[in-house]
Amino acid sequence: MEIMQILSVLILLSCFVLVSNKRTNSYIKTFQAQSALLALAAFMIGFENIEGHGAVEIMLVCFLIVALKVYYIPRLLRRTFANVDYKVEKNFFYNIPLLVLVCCAIAVFNYFSISSAIGAEASELGMFLANSVSVIFIGFFFMISRKKAIGQIVGLLVMENGIFAAALFASGGMPVLVDVGIFIDLITAVIIMGIMVFKINEQLETTDINKLKRLRG
Amino acid sequence: MISYLLLIPIVSIAAFWLARRESHIFVLGIAAALIMLSAGIKLSLDVAALGHVESRVLMFFYVDSLSMIVLGLVLAVSFFVVIYCAGYFKKELERGKIDLKRLRLFYSLLFAFIFSMILLLTTPNMGIMWIAIEATTLASVFLVGFENNKRSLEASWKYIIICSVGIAIALLGIIVLHISSIGIIKDAGTELSWTYLYEHAKELDLNLLRLAFIFMLVGFGTKAGLAPMHTWLPDAHSQAPSPVSAMLSGVLLNNAMYGIMRGLAILNKAMGSGSFAGAALMALGLLSILTAAVFILTQRDYKRLLAYSSIEHMGIIALGLGVFTPASVLASLMHMINHSFTKSMLFLSAGNIYQRYGTKDIYKVKGLFKSMPITGVVFMLGIFAITGMPPFSIFSSELGMVVALFKNGSYLAGTAFLFLLALVFVGFAVTLFKIFYGNAKGEQQKSLKPSPYADAVLVAMIGVITVTGVFMPNGVLKLLMDAQRIVTGG
Repeated sequence: MEIMQILSVLILLSCFVLVSNKRTNSYIKTFQAQSALLALAAFMIGFENIEGHGAVEIMLVCFLIVALKVYYIPRLLRRTFANVDYKVEKNFFYNIPLLVLVCCAIAVFNYFSISSAIGAEASELGMFLANSVSVIFIGFFFMISRKKAIGQIVGLLVMENGIFAAALFASGGMPVLVDVGIFIDLITAVIIMGIMVFKINEQLETTDINKLKRLRG
Repeated sequence: MISYLLLIPIVSIAAFWLARRESHIFVLGIAAALIMLSAGIKLSLDVAALGHVESRVLMFFYVDSLSMIVLGLVLAVSFFVVIYCAGYFKKELERGKIDLKRLRLFYSLLFAFIFSMILLLTTPNMGIMWIAIEATTLASVFLVGFENNKRSLEASWKYIIICSVGIAIALLGIIVLHISSIGIIKDAGTELSWTYLYEHAKELDLNLLRLAFIFMLVGFGTKAGLAPMHTWLPDAHSQAPSPVSAMLSGVLLNNAMYGIMRGLAILNKAMGSGSFAGAALMALGLLSILTAAVFILTQRDYKRLLAYSSIEHMGIIALGLGVFTPASVLASLMHMINHSFTKSMLFLSAGNIYQRYGTKDIYKVKGLFKSMPITGVVFMLGIFAITGMPPFSIFSSELGMVVALFKNGSYLAGTAFLFLLALVFVGFAVTLFKIFYGNAKGEQQKSLKPSPYADAVLVAMIGVITVTGVFMPNGVLKLLMDAQRIVTGG
């Protein structure tokens, strides 16, 4: 299906947008858009085999993505952010063109390594996997390139999006019980991290996690 | 039986919030841990007799010898820890460090943590296993930061971020594993089921399976504290309150290794021995031992030192899995049991020391034998035990490991292993032995004598590691042999 390939590439591209965002608000927005794309992909898969078994489950997953990742979590992050921080994240470690170049390198590396790891004959699967794994690695890279705690949370959420993309595109979704469980874990993790951002802000009067370096050696 | 095990922690969490007095919470906790332990013993007898136990109440549960060993450790160590907690928190309450509300919170989180570990070990579904292992992080993150100061906050932030990232990568591994099985799954409801994957291991897509194992190794390896993904571990394990450190080091790390073992079992069955996984595990294992040895040598904080020692022992277990002969896998599994008891005993004694002296700095603790005879003696014997001296149990499993290494012809790895063990012993001796002698100065608080609960637990645990050093009960041995056969894929 062509549309699935387009969606998969779009999700990867949204990661590049994410990395080039300067403001916290704009990368929360990018994350929201990426999650919406993911929800659309889930909807398309559900729509494809509307009569087959598993359609209801995947629609449920689509609904959960919209409810949590498009609506609730971004709202939670914005509220946390509004309470603790300034508007512009001035200090990240490298400049933006360099970050984007590194992301390109990650994507290219993944295309080659994944396609050689799983064999050339499964080319569509290879492409889906390479895209999703690139999303995961770029999310990880985003985490380590930002200093503020909220940047790290968004990076982790993008990694989760990449994992969901892998599950949706390459395997047509996981068993629904597992999906629901992952969502419960995810939402708990975000809430806990939100609480911790408050605590860090309270104790250190900044959310710059670079200041957290007492524990060494 | 399995559903009881899962039910008890939930019921006790509710009971903690209804309890009106501190002593009720202590008694409830001990009673719950005791019931769970006896249920666990009953279950392990069934598993030893039948090979595996299944249950279909609410969900499909499955316990075989491999998960039974880890589960038994969870229940036994948490039993000791909960008794210790009664003594430890009585002191903390007397000092006014915590109040009833925080005590309730602590106990609820502790039991939620135990619950998620039991769920992890009783489900055959790899997806639910992943959910449970992420839940262990989430349940324990506030336990790590329980002291609520800058350092513990930093430790818990690192803990939740690094472990969540690691575990996310493990989830990717599980998804790739799922993809590798799509062609062969015919019956609905068996997706991601470990038993089904294990039975049909030879039909899985090998390329994808290999990829899946790499991701799972990195992911669960992060949670298990294997170098170079270990950086969160010394912080989290040293900043957590000591009973929590004992749970994290003694029990939780095993659960992560268990995840690796499940993946490894499928891979080994599919590809036969001599696969690439062995080399990766051996490299990670030796690197972990080396990293730990170097940091132990220069450590000033005794709880951090113990945390690094946990990295070392996870490395030893990974090494044994990587050598991949029946003897070495058996040694790994035995080492897991021995390390659990020894390390949690050491952390509990460290808790006594910290409570009394109020510092984690090795240079500020002096005259331990005089000020706290029981804790001092147990701590010193524990140090001998953890560095692999006879007659304690770690000696026997490390000896088994060395023999397995040399018999397999891995002379280089064997020699490196022996050298690193010696280095670790030197590290412990140089850094820690000074705390036992000399005169305790006025820094310590005389009123804070360790409670009889804490002392009883320490004495019981040193008994356990001494007895298992020379004699393993037959039932346990049978479980170990069965588990070894599962991991080696035979």
